[in-house]
Amino acid sequence: MNLKETNRSAAVVGAGMTLFASRLQETGKEMTWEAAKMALDQAGLTLADIDAVILGTAPDAFDGVHKKGEWLLDGAGGVGKPYMRVYTGGGTAVMAPIAGWWHVASGMYDKVLVLCEEKMSSVQPHAQSAFGHIWDPILDRPLKPNLVWIFSMEMQRYMHKYDVSYEDIASVAVKNKRNAVGHPCAQLADPDITLEDVINSEPMALPVRRLDISPPSDGASAVVIVRGDMAHDLTEIPVFIDGVGWCIDTTMWTNRDLAFPEFVVKAAKMAYDMAGIDNPKKEIDVAEPYDPFDYKEVQHLEALGLFEPGEAARATREGKTQRDGELPVCPSGGLLGVGNPIAATLGIKVGELFWQLSGQAGVRQVKKDIRTGVTQAWGDLMQFSSVLVMRRH
Amino acid sequence: MGFTDRFQKTTEPRHRLGAMEADHYIYSAGIAGEKFFTALRDRGIILASHCKACAITYVPSRLFCERCFAELTDSDDREVGPEGEVATFTLVRQDSAGNALPEPEILAVIRFGHETTGFLHKLGEVSPEKVETGMKVEAVLKPQEEREARITDIAYFRPVKK
Repeated sequence: MNLKETNRSAAVVGAGMTLFASRLQETGKEMTWEAAKMALDQAGLTLADIDAVILGTAPDAFDGVHKKGEWLLDGAGGVGKPYMRVYTGGGTAVMAPIAGWWHVASGMYDKVLVLCEEKMSSVQPHAQSAFGHIWDPILDRPLKPNLVWIFSMEMQRYMHKYDVSYEDIASVAVKNKRNAVGHPCAQLADPDITLEDVINSEPMALPVRRLDISPPSDGASAVVIVRGDMAHDLTEIPVFIDGVGWCIDTTMWTNRDLAFPEFVVKAAKMAYDMAGIDNPKKEIDVAEPYDPFDYKEVQHLEALGLFEPGEAARATREGKTQRDGELPVCPSGGLLGVGNPIAATLGIKVGELFWQLSGQAGVRQVKKDIRTGVTQAWGDLMQFSSVLVMRRH
Repeated sequence: MGFTDRFQKTTEPRHRLGAMEADHYIYSAGIAGEKFFTALRDRGIILASHCKACAITYVPSRLFCERCFAELTDSDDREVGPEGEVATFTLVRQDSAGNALPEPEILAVIRFGHETTGFLHKLGEVSPEKVETGMKVEAVLKPQEEREARITDIAYFRPVKK
């Protein structure tokens, strides 16, 4: 891999996102347009300025329209432009902006609009009925797997291997749902939530309880990525994409190390190498790892090299990852607090790092001086990860 | 022969019978769609949205212009039709199982002036041999009490009587 010689730099100059909630009133196209318009407005650009459009969205089965990338096209502003859909399940949230980055870094385009949309309330009675068809039809589906019990097994394996307590893991849910209180788009923010609330919430597939899981949601998010040398003309503090990485593990999830996601390590190494980061523990100031379940945040923090394996949950309980802690983690409120419209979590990952690193995060703003952040998403059949390193220059 | 005839022996090790089932979907008409269908049901009109900058009229009405991203509000509403022109059409003589339909169905794209987008619907009160591109047609709405804010509140389009 040649990670040091991309053609040119690229920076985020605007971001937007809609309220995350079950949204019966708007179409997916209308939500996508709303987020796109916000991002363009923040960048001071119009659709006519945009050279190419990337749309990220996860299974067609949620919205109930096959080829929904093409269906959402008009809301994404892709009519009459080079346009492509990115789809890596939950990993789409960070993979779509990576595709935006390579459109610019390759030298092909100057200004690119990246959108992500998900409308999970369309599928009835619950999004789980769509997730039921992601498994192998011969080996897995006859046993009727669902995501919650698969994740329960992963969490169990992680707790066993590293001797991690459930209470330490559950403190992630408390932190993120409290962080989300300052987010105007949040679905599950709760200023008063306690560890006891999580521990006593309804058992789903133990050890996983209801409040360990992020809620399905509807929403859209967008970012504008431009050539690095144009960025300062468009915004006061652009945030540069200095490293990108992605990696996919075997589809046979039973064949993976369920306690430690090696594919995240590989994706992170690619992004860190490109960004010239040798010691992420010292050089990363803020992190937005993917947190659809509380144990996933700690697993991801460990695979991103920010904590030793098995250490991140206790560090969370000790407050090290609070917004004012040593390493602020998910200052947005994350998927656990803001909501989990799969691909649209772009806004609480890449969008949040843009707002944080440019000092525009309002009441969510990390107080200490932050310059370098890492964000990561995770998806497909729990086997894929995408990583972005973002920096204020 | 139906589509499933070749796949009956699902007890063989070779294959399995399965389905990608969802109970059902709830599809949103959207902010602009709700306005369009309410106008169709209650006022019997075909509502469109006009983007001044792009000189294009979207039928049905839309929340935004897909060309320039301008928000299209109530002040951009236009009523189009009921008369329009057949831009193109097709005749359907069989159902999806291959059975002959009692009467051929005629589907058409209708335009309400050269700056409007196309509108898909059925033609009625016309024999298939008489249909032609460029034909002037008009919307025939169901009686108000039968309308339910659906695209089928328009029963069909028929030739304009000269």
